[in-house]
Amino acid sequence: MKQNYVLEPLGEMKAMYQAYNEEMIELSKKNGKIVLLYGDFPRGAAGELFQKEHPDRIYDVGIAEANLITTAAGLAGGGYLPFTHCHSIFAVGRAYNQIRQNVAFDKLNVKIVLCNSGMLWSFMGGSHQIIEEIAAMRVIPNLVLVSPSDPISTKKMTRAIAEYTGPVALRISAPPVPTVYRDDFPFELGKAVTLTDGSDATIISTGMVLSDALEAADTLAKEGIKVRLLDMHTLKPIDEAAIIKAAKETGAIVTVEDSSILGGLGGAVAEVTAENAPVPVKRVGIKDRFGQSGTVPELKEEYELTARHIVQAVRESVKKK
Amino acid sequence: MAHDEKLIQKLTEKAKIIRRDAVEMIKAGDSGWIGGSFSQADIIAALMFHHMKHDPKNPDWEDRDRLIVSKAHCCETVYAAFGEAGYFSKELYKSYGHMGATLQAHTERIVPGIEYSGGSLGQGLSFALGEALAARIDAPKDSSGRPVPRYRVYCIIGDGESNEGQIWEAVMAALHYKVDNLVAILDHNKFQSSGTIEERMNMMPWVDKWKAFAWDTAEINGHDFEAILTALENADRVKGKPHIIIAHTTKCKGVPSFEHKNLHFCKLSDEMYAEALEALK
Repeated sequence: MKQNYVLEPLGEMKAMYQAYNEEMIELSKKNGKIVLLYGDFPRGAAGELFQKEHPDRIYDVGIAEANLITTAAGLAGGGYLPFTHCHSIFAVGRAYNQIRQNVAFDKLNVKIVLCNSGMLWSFMGGSHQIIEEIAAMRVIPNLVLVSPSDPISTKKMTRAIAEYTGPVALRISAPPVPTVYRDDFPFELGKAVTLTDGSDATIISTGMVLSDALEAADTLAKEGIKVRLLDMHTLKPIDEAAIIKAAKETGAIVTVEDSSILGGLGGAVAEVTAENAPVPVKRVGIKDRFGQSGTVPELKEEYELTARHIVQAVRESVKKK
Repeated sequence: MAHDEKLIQKLTEKAKIIRRDAVEMIKAGDSGWIGGSFSQADIIAALMFHHMKHDPKNPDWEDRDRLIVSKAHCCETVYAAFGEAGYFSKELYKSYGHMGATLQAHTERIVPGIEYSGGSLGQGLSFALGEALAARIDAPKDSSGRPVPRYRVYCIIGDGESNEGQIWEAVMAALHYKVDNLVAILDHNKFQSSGTIEERMNMMPWVDKWKAFAWDTAEINGHDFEAILTALENADRVKGKPHIIIAHTTKCKGVPSFEHKNLHFCKLSDEMYAEALEALK
């Protein structure tokens, strides 16, 4: 029921930004077009390497997110492959029109790294924890939106988006997260990954909350509820076929995201099922509230994003079938 | 040093052609930004028909100089310049602003030669900065190890447009990175959409502001070809900092009876159309 490429027990804790940087170092060995751009943001290991070895392919524009995104667009116009780095809240918030007009409108080959994505970012508080990101970004045409869940999927996703030609926004969460996948797990941009299979209900998760969803699936299995767990690492284009198949074969879906339940993963899944295979869709996520300071476990508890909350949502959904 | 008289005559003629073609476009589209299109027309003529290194037969030539018109609503003289240069057929003019047209109401990259999809003011200078940075990557180095940029980037910005904060983000970054292959040209026609720039949002003193940002700053009459060409050539020579040419212009320059009205976005009545073509004979 659990696929063999899912680690049991879970593997080492690592921050997604670190995993991303490790992969960028690998990619830069063969790709001489990569340019790293920052908005007064920590370099990471890749940035430090570029500072030493490719100083003409690394720029920091300071605390100026609009200039960050549009300068990247100009670099793409000049034939290069720019990756921008700043806090997601400020990329999406302060440079929304730039993402939409300077990158997406012309399908320029710019990769926007949404650092410190989502609600689960300790200490920083409500001004920095973004809840509106998935909803705001998926509604921009031509923009691929991706959301890996662990260090291994972060690396595979980083490689995939570098190989894809066109605008991409990549969600990278702040805290260290457990490794869920074996190195060779099946990864394809645009295709949901099945972690566990079952026909009582489906959990569709995106981003770092996958490990909580996996814990929930394990708990439910012990009570005889066999859930299918899908990692929706590509939010746009979303894997409609996997959603429809899950709806038809399991009859109830619970979505999980560290993002608003309005218009995010939950909204996207509900759009697909409503048109193709109507089933109850229960959205676990941030209930239209701003964030606050706290540790990640405290935030999960306060915003009802623990494995326990996911289990409860599945139990209720199964009753509605 | 004065430029050849024949060159000045040629540019004067080209500027007239692109203004006339712009009038045809605005009539065909039933709307357009005649004022701002005309105030920048001489600068565009100088760039497109003399100063810039480019090849209409080869719009994707990697080392072409770039023209980025950040005030992209003033698209008609931009389209007319690229059409006159031979980037595309002038047949496209009559569908300007129509459903399905290649020539959309604000410039877009789908048009051969056009580098920048504008319409959202204040962003083009950042785009130009990115293109200018790209020119320095993989470039040959001079004797002191500095990259010799593969191409230069010219960016026309508006004075109303300069209200946008992002303009100044690009200004500070271009200075920080000493982007000396970037030339911004301010089409300083003293008007914005809803009134004079002084009434709407007074940004005096202009020249002092740019000098305070430490760009290589020049101030010229934007309708004097001698002055335009000299300023562009000076900008090419100065190393180590980006360049701003503050060009004093007149909105709607070229049709004397239109010049003192704020013809920002307008339809051309049959009378205005005839008046314009008469003035541009």
